[in-house]
Amino acid sequence: MFETKKIAQGVHVHVHETTQFKTINFSIRFKDRLTVKNASERAILANVLQHSNEMYPSHTALRMVLDDLYGTSLYIDSTKRGDDHIVNLNVETVNDQYLSDKGVLEKVMNLMYIVLFKPNFENGLFKESIFKREQESIVQRIESVFDDKTRYAQQRMMELGLPGHPASITSNGSIDQVKQVTNESLVAAYHHMLENNEVEIYVVGDVSPELISSHIRDYFHFTDRKELPEKAESQLQPPEQSRVLEYEDMKQGKLHMMFFTPVTFRDEDFPVMQLMNGVFGGYAHSKLFANIREKESMAYYVSSSYASQFGLMFVLAGIDRKLEEKAVSLILGQLDEIKQGHITDTELEQTKALLTNQLKEALDSARGQIDIYDQYMELSEDFEPAYLIERWESVTKEQIAQAANNMSLQMTYFLSGKEEASDE
Amino acid sequence: MNKMEFNQLEETLYQEQLPNGLTVYILPKRGFSKTYATFTTKYGSIDNHFVPLGEKQAIQVPDGIAHFLEHKMFEKEEGDIFQEFSKNGASANAFTSFTRTAYLFSATGRIQENVTTLLDFVQSPYFTEQTVEKEKGIIAQEITMYDDQPDWRLYFGMIENLYKNHPVKIDIAGTVESIQHITAEHLYTCYHTFYHPSNMTLFIVGNVEPESMMQFVKDNQAAKTFDAPAPIERIFPDEPKEAAVKERTLEMAVQKPKVFVGIKPERLDLHGPEMLKHELSAQLAYELLFGRTSNFYHEAYENGWIDESYSFDYSLESGFGYALIGTDTNHPEKFAQEVKKAIHQAVEKWPFGQEDLDRVRRKKIGFFMRALNSPEYIANQFTQYAFNGMNLFDVVPVLEQIEVADLQEAFALVSAESQQSVFTIKSPEKEQA
Repeated sequence: MFETKKIAQGVHVHVHETTQFKTINFSIRFKDRLTVKNASERAILANVLQHSNEMYPSHTALRMVLDDLYGTSLYIDSTKRGDDHIVNLNVETVNDQYLSDKGVLEKVMNLMYIVLFKPNFENGLFKESIFKREQESIVQRIESVFDDKTRYAQQRMMELGLPGHPASITSNGSIDQVKQVTNESLVAAYHHMLENNEVEIYVVGDVSPELISSHIRDYFHFTDRKELPEKAESQLQPPEQSRVLEYEDMKQGKLHMMFFTPVTFRDEDFPVMQLMNGVFGGYAHSKLFANIREKESMAYYVSSSYASQFGLMFVLAGIDRKLEEKAVSLILGQLDEIKQGHITDTELEQTKALLTNQLKEALDSARGQIDIYDQYMELSEDFEPAYLIERWESVTKEQIAQAANNMSLQMTYFLSGKEEASDE
Repeated sequence: MNKMEFNQLEETLYQEQLPNGLTVYILPKRGFSKTYATFTTKYGSIDNHFVPLGEKQAIQVPDGIAHFLEHKMFEKEEGDIFQEFSKNGASANAFTSFTRTAYLFSATGRIQENVTTLLDFVQSPYFTEQTVEKEKGIIAQEITMYDDQPDWRLYFGMIENLYKNHPVKIDIAGTVESIQHITAEHLYTCYHTFYHPSNMTLFIVGNVEPESMMQFVKDNQAAKTFDAPAPIERIFPDEPKEAAVKERTLEMAVQKPKVFVGIKPERLDLHGPEMLKHELSAQLAYELLFGRTSNFYHEAYENGWIDESYSFDYSLESGFGYALIGTDTNHPEKFAQEVKKAIHQAVEKWPFGQEDLDRVRRKKIGFFMRALNSPEYIANQFTQYAFNGMNLFDVVPVLEQIEVADLQEAFALVSAESQQSVFTIKSPEKEQA
């Protein structure tokens, strides 16, 4: 799907030439180790770089030029995957063959160069007012998780259950560490990112791979860098507390459960665990949905998800706060069914069909193509969807039961309103 | 079958109205492996007062019934329809809005089987007192979940502020209390009134061959019998021009206060091309006044009155609409005051010229082109527009014709002081330790 060119040591350009879309998509990904300090710095950095730059020194000036380029969308986000922290410049621009106006693509590429390499410096530091403001933005972004009780409950469980582990480090770092970042340390983090990070550059659209690669090689100043050192997978330590109850002013009860599985993304059995998750709680035909929601009428949402990078599985449900115990026992009951191999042919076929459908559908968006390729190229350099689909096809019920038997419940976390507060 | 070509966009749309009244659209998408289909009835939460099919007396039904009906469509005597879609590798879903109920699937194979499932399950109601009772627990949890979401409360709080009588102010899912009154009989009454093919639209977009798919849908429909189409009589109360409540605050545990300034549009009777031109013009005017390149945004950002949650929007349907400008902020009063000031100043002295218009117009055309990469956007947006007599593919040509005077005229209809309202969510005052 993608044609890859190495333009410097540790810097690759991957181009997918296609007429499927009316736009051209770019993604430039800077990969570094995930630590709280790194994440905190880089979350601010992403915001500061997308605010303004040397050529367009105010936010308004930068946004005006983007509007003029037919509403080209440009944003920088900071995300994480496994042990990596990723700063990602995303750009989507209209293919100028649909416009009477030509030359848009070249202007957009030039703008991407300016955004990354010509920051809004004043005496070798980021402009102080912008630095301060964006530092404050990240603090507020971290605080705002509290207003989304599902995200908040998940974050609390991770903080309490796996402190210090990459699975519990958020892509924005921590309030404490964000506040400790100085303008000087941010400039150092910026140079480190440009000069030492592994960089993957993706382009999807009706463009020539040769032209794009040579343009990036000639105009962007990417120098050779050391590849990120081969890293040991972080080990999971059992949580200190296996059951935690917390209270906030709210009506619903948020049940979060965490399981360990020895199978990660890099294991031979990875496709088996994906099927296990699908049979258990990944879909609307899954055991959790069919039983806890449809049969017991206990929840509106109840589902499982598999964090394959770490070998974790989560179950989430929104329930009446008085029914925690019953819900936990029903959920574990469904897991037992799988452990005993009580899986119907229909369940197996449905899950295989939906995993396949989901993968093919994701490839119908440029962003999906980039995300999937970026993840799976670690497994196979010339990744094609067939690679996974064939593996799913061959998975048996016995393998799924075996995978379920290797799972262990490590923690249940329950967030709910206090008795008197929620009876309105 | 009608064929409409949109050359500049390189899209071709096929359309036909079947003898039973159903309108079918098919849009083939080159290079896509997926097909996305929506089967939508022009029936939403606001349609709670109407004359049932074949009767004379209007009735009022419990709040949340359109959404309840949507849930119940998935359960049949022989089981759950989600299971059926999964067998054919399709992801299915549904949603209820103020004005529509849509059933949908996406799949990369067995499209005919999935289209059959979609048409057949929506056209074969099965409700019993027992299954209706059972659903109440699930929907009560859904309502409770939304009750805990401050952003949802903020949105609905503002709509309640703007509208005095119109049913748009009723929460789409109803309340835990109101859904207790829903019976199987209610569901059948609503179903028979609003799910007639003549009140529905099927939109299929993606990897499809238009001729054979149209024939397939026709054959499916021809095999079923329906009553003759009859006009639906909906009753809406009179709604004053002014905002119902000028200012209101809700206490709820939030990290930072949240505030919306809302403006109720003056013309709520627009339809078709006139509506499209007004909506796009007003959106452009709001973009200039409150968008990321506006003086307002610049000043609000510099002074810390807004954060990353800042947003603004203008949307219009038949009978209701709203412009919303909001943010999380530690300065909700200041923010509201500045929004009102910006509106007032633009009314007093119109600040925008040709260059401004050209810039935001380009931005909007770019946004639209990006959106056309999404089959979901096309199907949902097209249907919503069609129910209001508008054509989604007219957006670019209409945008190209809009002039500065149109922005000013549209803005004048969504700016009066008496139509503005402010809604704030704040944490309760902390007790002294």
